Amino acid sequence: MIEQINNPVVEVHDLMVSYGQNPVLWNIDLTLPAGNLIGILGPNGAGKSTLIKAIMGLVEANSGYSKIFDQDLNHVRNRVSYVPQRESVDWDFPASALDIVMMGTYHHLGLFKRPGKKEKELAMDCLQKVNMKAFAKRQISELSGGQQQRVFIARALAQQADIYFMDEPFAGVDMSTEKALVSLFQEMTATGKTVIVVHHDIYSAGKYFNWLIMLNMHLIASGPTEKVLTEDLLTKTYGGKLSMLTDIGELIKKSDFNPLKN
Amino acid sequence: MSFDPNAFIIILTGSMIAISCGLLGVFLMLRKMAMTGDAISHAVLPGIVIAFLISGSRHGLAMVIGAGLVGIIATVFIEYLSNKVKLQSDASIGITFTSLFAIGIIMITFLANQIDLDQDCVLYGEIAYVPIDLWITGSGTIMGPRVTYLSLINLTLVSLFIYLFFKELKISTFDKEFAATIGLSTVGVNYGLMGMVSYTTVSSFEAVGAILVVALMVVPPATAFLWTKNLKRLIQLTVALGILASFLGYYLAFFLNSSIAGAMASVAGFFFFLSVILNRKQIPAIKKKLSKMKVA
Repeated sequence: MIEQINNPVVEVHDLMVSYGQNPVLWNIDLTLPAGNLIGILGPNGAGKSTLIKAIMGLVEANSGYSKIFDQDLNHVRNRVSYVPQRESVDWDFPASALDIVMMGTYHHLGLFKRPGKKEKELAMDCLQKVNMKAFAKRQISELSGGQQQRVFIARALAQQADIYFMDEPFAGVDMSTEKALVSLFQEMTATGKTVIVVHHDIYSAGKYFNWLIMLNMHLIASGPTEKVLTEDLLTKTYGGKLSMLTDIGELIKKSDFNPLKN
Repeated sequence: MSFDPNAFIIILTGSMIAISCGLLGVFLMLRKMAMTGDAISHAVLPGIVIAFLISGSRHGLAMVIGAGLVGIIATVFIEYLSNKVKLQSDASIGITFTSLFAIGIIMITFLANQIDLDQDCVLYGEIAYVPIDLWITGSGTIMGPRVTYLSLINLTLVSLFIYLFFKELKISTFDKEFAATIGLSTVGVNYGLMGMVSYTTVSSFEAVGAILVVALMVVPPATAFLWTKNLKRLIQLTVALGILASFLGYYLAFFLNSSIAGAMASVAGFFFFLSVILNRKQIPAIKKKLSKMKVA
């Protein structure tokens, strides 16, 4: 069940990504509507993070392309924000929560310019939105995992983008914070922004998102939550027979045949 | 003790070198690339020799360019080995710099009869000669100690580099992926930093040698990191420690009648261990680590 739409904010066409000889994503073809809170679901190793990394140009695609606002990412970087997984950085870095959020204002500044009062005020507002204003001066190494996650989201807010890609923003976050973040994301989508979230929990996904992408190395489903959250598609995403693609990967590794190299 | 102009020149030069190294070292340490700095400082040796052969002088622009290029080549090679060949990063560093260094040693010994350059000079340097190595212009005017000028230029350029690209260095050090998504050339920042490390090594090797340059790059930032978790404070403290090491190192060497560069590095090392002991928070953490190691 893959629903394609007109005038998408994100368009992925024929995308294929592999790490070395191991294919991770096969033939992904999808279009995403504006103003939605979109969840990416799938088991471990399904390529959820890889999909958004490929869209953000952080991993190289073997084939295919992706477009944002019908343009190449390089032309619209100011309108796109990316929140990496919390564990991808070293939180011992000497900086305060405010320092990190200020980084969200850097791309508007350009070379040689330093963030000033205006940027600081914006950063404080963003910290306020994730309920972290009281921790602005705190060293990031002294924050809890959930607080660090909220600092990352505040940094994304400071980018004042139109599309947000978030890689597991709820990892290590307690339930009340998760709910607060979801309603923050819902407020954002209500003003026309698009928020795309890599998510683990099938049960809460139905409540949080109004559009779902289901992924297991290839695209199982992409569409409005009420249409795609079916037992059949969930089994296809998480269950049984879908190890076929992994088997193909194994076969490629064993034989000398490698379709990824010419 | 009366004012000794030679002592002043040596301490001034030593301080400027220590500050340049420390400024770059802060970012090397935060990027977990302290050993890459070590590798570059050794790998530039063939660059130094080739530049020497071409230009025929131990100073000047050719030297800086030659070593800078080899330093960047070393960085490219290390990243190629660890990212594309998928070799462990420490092994990549070990292979790259020892190979380049070995080539440099062969070149020096091979050409020993023809050129005025030897291993001792490159590896150990001698800051004590700084006051007598004068820069004399074509018309015969004595401008003062040559290496002091070199280290002043080096310090100016390093400070300018850090000042102008502070934002970019900070963001690409903390979160490389995020930096890339806002359109920053993280590769460019990396090569810029490595280029500055190469240049600083070359500029300093006559005074402190290619080996002790590494001590000045790694030890003061690591010491400062034990005391502060604020990037600007970390840089200030590193600078202060560099000056202190130079000052105390000189007098230590004076009383021991020994190598000044060696004494500078020893003083820096002494401050590091003193900080470890004084930093109470660190003591339980170290004990924890030690007990874990015993169990393992």
